Amino acid sequence: MLKVSENIINGDKMDIESQKAVQFINRLLSNPAVQNLYPLQKETQILQFLKVNIKQLLPTLSSSAFFPGKSWENIIKILYSALMDILNNELLSGLEKILNNIDYNFIAFLREQGLPVENPQKNILEFEKNLLTIAEARQAFAGPYTAVSLKITDQYIDEAFNRREYIYFELVKVQKLKMSKEEIKNLVKVSLLLKNIIHVIPFNQNRSGNVSNVVHISFAQKALEQVKEKIKILPETLLKSGINSNISFLENPEMETTSRLASIFAFRCQNYKSFQKLDRGADTPDKSWFNIARRNYKFYGFDIKILDELYKTAAENGW
Amino acid sequence: MKSKIIKILEGFVTFVIILVIIHTLIEDLAIILNWNQEARTFLLFSSFFFDLFFTVEFLIRFSNALSKKKALKYIFFERGWIDFLAAVPLLIFSSGPPLLAYLMGGTILAGMGSIYNILKLVKAIRIARILRILKIFRNIKYADSKMAQRHVAKIITTSIAVIVFSIFGYSILQNNIESMNPNSEYEKSRENIITLLENRPTLSMEFINNLTEIENTIIQIKQNDEAVYRRYDRDYIINNFSENDFIHKVIVKLDMEILFDVREENASIELSQSWNNIFFFSLVMLIVIGYMIFYSAHFAMTVTDPINVMKRGIEEKSYNLEVKLPKHYKNDDIFQLAKAYNEIFLPLKDRNKEDDDIVDLKMDDLKDILG
Repeated sequence: MLKVSENIINGDKMDIESQKAVQFINRLLSNPAVQNLYPLQKETQILQFLKVNIKQLLPTLSSSAFFPGKSWENIIKILYSALMDILNNELLSGLEKILNNIDYNFIAFLREQGLPVENPQKNILEFEKNLLTIAEARQAFAGPYTAVSLKITDQYIDEAFNRREYIYFELVKVQKLKMSKEEIKNLVKVSLLLKNIIHVIPFNQNRSGNVSNVVHISFAQKALEQVKEKIKILPETLLKSGINSNISFLENPEMETTSRLASIFAFRCQNYKSFQKLDRGADTPDKSWFNIARRNYKFYGFDIKILDELYKTAAENGW
Repeated sequence: MKSKIIKILEGFVTFVIILVIIHTLIEDLAIILNWNQEARTFLLFSSFFFDLFFTVEFLIRFSNALSKKKALKYIFFERGWIDFLAAVPLLIFSSGPPLLAYLMGGTILAGMGSIYNILKLVKAIRIARILRILKIFRNIKYADSKMAQRHVAKIITTSIAVIVFSIFGYSILQNNIESMNPNSEYEKSRENIITLLENRPTLSMEFINNLTEIENTIIQIKQNDEAVYRRYDRDYIINNFSENDFIHKVIVKLDMEILFDVREENASIELSQSWNNIFFFSLVMLIVIGYMIFYSAHFAMTVTDPINVMKRGIEEKSYNLEVKLPKHYKNDDIFQLAKAYNEIFLPLKDRNKEDDDIVDLKMDDLKDILG
C-alpha cells in the first residue's frame, strides 16, 4: 500500500515538475529573439542560453518556486524533456509536410534492381523520429531542416542550371545525374534531410568547440552499413549522398556533388535568420556567408569552386 | 517625467527654429512686395519676439553649462557660439532698436545716426539663424550617427560662417564706398540743384517755387537762417521723418541750407538690400540642404556605415555581415580597413566561434520570472 502511495506522490510530483518546466520553456520560447526561428534553432538557442547562464539560473531554478533540491543536471534533463516535447510537435509535423511535398521519382534513376518503388516518406519520417531522440542528431538536423524549409536549395540550383557553370557540370556530367532539374533539387533536399543519419553511430569525441563537424570517410562508411539495414527502401546511392555530406571534400575528391551542396547548405542554414535586418553599408547575408566560407573552405572541407559560384550567384541576385 | 518635459521643450524649440527661418525670408519679402504698415509692424514685433526667445534660450543653456562647469564645451563643441550669434547681436542691434523706436516714436533715433548704419549691417547676419537648422539635423536620414552629425554640421557651419562674415564685411565695405563716393542718381540730382542755385545771381520766390515743384525731394530751403521755403509743416516732419530720412546740404556762397527728402532713396536701397538678402538667404539654404541631403548621404556611405558594420561585427558574436566595398572608393582608408575586416577578421571569427556565440536570449528578458 505504501509503495502505491509513494508512486502516486512521486507521480504527482513529476506532473508538477513537468508543468513548471513547460511553463518555463514556453516563457523562453515566447521571447522575440527566438520566436521567428525554426524549431531546432529555437532548441539550440535555449540550450545554449541555459548552459551559458548556469550560475545565474541555478539559484532560482533549484528554489522552491521551480525544482527544489534538484541538481543542475537533473534540472536540465527535466527542461530538455519539456523542450523536446513542445518542439517535436512543430518539428515533426513540419518534417512530415516537407517529406510529403517531395516528389520521389528521382529514386527511380538511383535505385538498384529489385527495390520497391513505394513512396518512402513514411520510412524516412519514422527513422528520423527515432534519430531525433538523440541530442546530437537533433542539433545536426537544425541546418538541413531550415535549408529545406526555406527552399534555399531550389533558388541556387535554379540559378546553377541557368548559368551552366561548375555546379551544373559537376551534377550532370561528373555525378552523371541524368534527371531533370526538379528531380535534382529533390535529390539534394533528401540528401540534406539524411545528413544527420551519421549519428546512428554515437560520436565519441567531445563535440564542444568542434566547429567543422567533419568526420572521417571510414566513420561515414561504418554509418552507411548500419543505416542500409535500417532503411532498406532507399537506394544506397541516396543514403551515401546524405551521409557523405559529413566528410571533407579536400580529403575525398570523389565526394558526390549533391553531398557537397548538402554540406554547404546545412552549414549556411544552421544559424540562419530569415528576419535579419540588413544594415546600411553591409553586404547581403548569403553573399557575406559564402565569402567567409570561401576563405574557410579548408577548415570546413567545402568545395571552393562550388562556393565561388554560389558567392557570385548571391552577389548578382542580392541574396 | 523630467525627460518627457525636456523632450517637449526641445520639440517646441525645433518648431520655433523652423518658424524663424521662414520669418527671416518673409521680412525681406514684405519690403519687396510692399506689404502694408500693419503687416510690417507685426513682423517688427515678431522679429523681436524670436530674437528675445532665442536670447533667453541661449542664456538658459549657457547658465546651465556654466553651473556644470561645461561652459567652454557648450560654446565651442556644442555650437553654443551659433546660439549666441543667431540671437544676442540680433536682439541688441537688429530687432531691438526698431521696436524701441516704434514704441517711443521715430525720433528716438535722433542722435543715433551712426548706430543706424550698424543696424543695416547687422541685418546681414540674420542669415546666421539658418545655422539653427543644424539642431534638427539628427532627425534627417543618414544622420543617425553622432560622428556624421558632427562632421556634416562642422562643414555646414564653416561654410555658412564664411558666407555670413563675408556678407558682413561686404556690407561694411559697400557702406564705406557709398559714403566716400556717392554716385547714385539721387545724389547727382542734388548736386545739380545745388549747382543750379549757385550759378544764379539772384533767387526769386518764383524761381524757388518752380524749382520745388519740379524737384519734389526739396523739403526746406533756409537762407540767412530764415526759412524761404517749407514743403511740410513742422508737425508733419516730426511725425513722418526720422533722422535718416533727410539730407542737409549747405551752399556757403549763398548762405543757404537745403533739406532733401531721401525716403524714396532709402526705400530703394532697402529694396535692393532685401533682394540681396533673399539671394544670400536662398543660397545659404541651398548650401545647407545640399550638405544635409547629399553630403551626409555620401559621408554615411563612405565613413559611418562601414564603421557601424565593423563595430557590430566586433561587438556581437553572431553578427557576420561583410562590409560592402564600393568599386569607386576601394582605395579609401576606411574601405582598406573594411577589406581586412572582411578577409581576415570575419573568417577568423567564424573559425573560432563557440557554441555560446549564437545565444541571442538575454538574462534581462527573464527578469519577471526569475526575480
